[in-house]
Amino acid sequence: MTDRTSKSILPGGTRARRSLYWQYLVEPYLYLSPAIFLIGIVMMIPLIIGISYSFQSIELLKPFDTGWVGLENYQKLWSDRKFWLALENTFWWTFWSISFQFLLGLGLAMLLTTQFYGKKLFQALVFLPWAVPTFLSALTWAWLFNPVIGPLPHWMASLGILSEPYNIMGDPNLAMWGPIVANIWFGVPFFAITLLAALQSIPNDMYEAAEIDGASAWQVFTKITLPFLAPMIAITVMLRTIWIANFADLIYVMTGGGPANSTQIVSSYIFTTAFRKLDFGYASAIAVALLFILLTYAVFLLWLRKKLVKT
Amino acid sequence: MARIELKDVVKCYGTVEVLRDINLDIKDGEFIVLVGPSGCGKSTLLRMIAGLEPISQGDFLIGGERMNDVRPRDRDIAMVFQSYALYPHMDVARNMGFSMEIRKDPANERMSRVKQAADTLGLTALTERLPKALSGGQRQRVAMGRAIIRDPRAFLFDEPLSNLDASLRVEMRLEIARLHQKLGATMIYVTHDQVEALTLADRIVVLNGGDIQQVGSPLELYERPANKFVAQFIGSPTMNVVSVTGGKNKVTTADGVAIALPHLKGTERAVEMGIRPEHIDVVDVNAGHLIGIADVVEHLGSDTNIYVDVEGLGPILVRKHGNIPAKTGDRLGLRIQSENAHAFAADGVALRQTNTNEA
Repeated sequence: MTDRTSKSILPGGTRARRSLYWQYLVEPYLYLSPAIFLIGIVMMIPLIIGISYSFQSIELLKPFDTGWVGLENYQKLWSDRKFWLALENTFWWTFWSISFQFLLGLGLAMLLTTQFYGKKLFQALVFLPWAVPTFLSALTWAWLFNPVIGPLPHWMASLGILSEPYNIMGDPNLAMWGPIVANIWFGVPFFAITLLAALQSIPNDMYEAAEIDGASAWQVFTKITLPFLAPMIAITVMLRTIWIANFADLIYVMTGGGPANSTQIVSSYIFTTAFRKLDFGYASAIAVALLFILLTYAVFLLWLRKKLVKT
Repeated sequence: MARIELKDVVKCYGTVEVLRDINLDIKDGEFIVLVGPSGCGKSTLLRMIAGLEPISQGDFLIGGERMNDVRPRDRDIAMVFQSYALYPHMDVARNMGFSMEIRKDPANERMSRVKQAADTLGLTALTERLPKALSGGQRQRVAMGRAIIRDPRAFLFDEPLSNLDASLRVEMRLEIARLHQKLGATMIYVTHDQVEALTLADRIVVLNGGDIQQVGSPLELYERPANKFVAQFIGSPTMNVVSVTGGKNKVTTADGVAIALPHLKGTERAVEMGIRPEHIDVVDVNAGHLIGIADVVEHLGSDTNIYVDVEGLGPILVRKHGNIPAKTGDRLGLRIQSENAHAFAADGVALRQTNTNEA
């Protein structure tokens, strides 16, 4: 009796189970497979290979000395003064670049929400630096800072910023400001355009209601505009921070990391280690360290954003 | 609370005049409704009173002080927006208390005022919610709470009920009427809905095409419309208007029926006659002024609307209280209550009634 019941139920049961298995375990991955395949090919595999390099000795100048070395690269990294200097430089390079890019971009975006004659033309011009190839803008800025052909050192000397018109990129204490200024010029449009879009999405009613409620211009800015922009600010600052921290083009062209490594940032150090010294193992170890620092930073900022949006 | 005066106010955008010669004297504590079709300038006028739009010409006074160039925040008025304009990142209590927060009033005073306003509007349980967690009616209440907390000299409402569904609209309309009774404040209310206008207003201002058509109490507008536009805009269903030829104390319709209008002056100038649907009686064929065939009959329970096709005049709407046993295709006689009829001259101006005391 019980046998018969279980028999009569079983076929239906297995069929249901099989279709569930198909529905929930196989089918979704079939749809996702092209994306997973692509991400695997272009991201995961190189990433894994890169990480594995950091545990090996791969120096093209010592082709017979390759092999697994464990944590040797990381130990070397820990005691490498140049790495710590590059890390510090990366911090200041990113910090000053992002701060000025953000503040100037926000100001420019606020300016562009007002009405004035020639706004369309101005808006197009604002976007221009973004369209200039990095290499070209780096060269142009390098020339601008050159006292023989550029005006900037003479202007700075006249303003009393410099004692005499010399090239600041030759001074280890000031050299970083050359690429930073070029980077600010290059990155302002990104912030201006994204923040302009965010500003334009704030309903005009909000400003009118705040005006009737009696808010001053500064109160409107801090209590209405900034809270509305906060999520956008968080995401753009995070993105730009990661980009700028990795962005060695300007530095490489303008100073090449010098003088005396004073403008060497981590990513330019990775580049020189890999392609000048041809030490891929050690370069990978530095890259992994940078990856972890930026990941930590991104997680922190995403957490901050979540908290801001919730309240 | 204060008297609000507008003297010869004009609004131009470039060379286009959108409002002309606006003269209004709003008494302290009065409920004024600005009504008109879309694009008539009613919202613009309200925004000019709020200070959100500059006034091109003329004088605008609150409590006797000229306010043309005073900033919105110094005019001491509160406004309820059509979209409510609640600050989405602030909870209900902070939204309501924002004006006091801005003025840096003491926090405990702010809290007690917020609580008081929340009690008045039935929002006590919701003060910690964000606007996105509220229903349309609740948001509307918060917007009103934000206005009343300031105890302003005047309240401005910009189509505050148009985003609500029909039943909620009736409810909130009552609430606004109650609020006005309780606060006794000057209120200026913009709407395109004549029912809101008729139910709420002490006086209605009818605007069309940038001109004030008529200012008056709801009954005045209904009984003595100044022109054809007001006659057709106020009252639902709309007044019937038929072409007529004027004569001495009478008008004659196109099919030769004479209707005596002894209560109107200068009927010789009449080119059109207006009669409200509720002022036409259904009588036996040949016993009335007109004969027509019932085209559509709508039984609404309390009322019956009959669209009668009168030959030579076109459709005439008749509205009778209660249930009339008419059906489509019936031949009906229509008797016009001529004492309630209106007549309009060629420029649309209504002919004056002899029994009114107007100069």
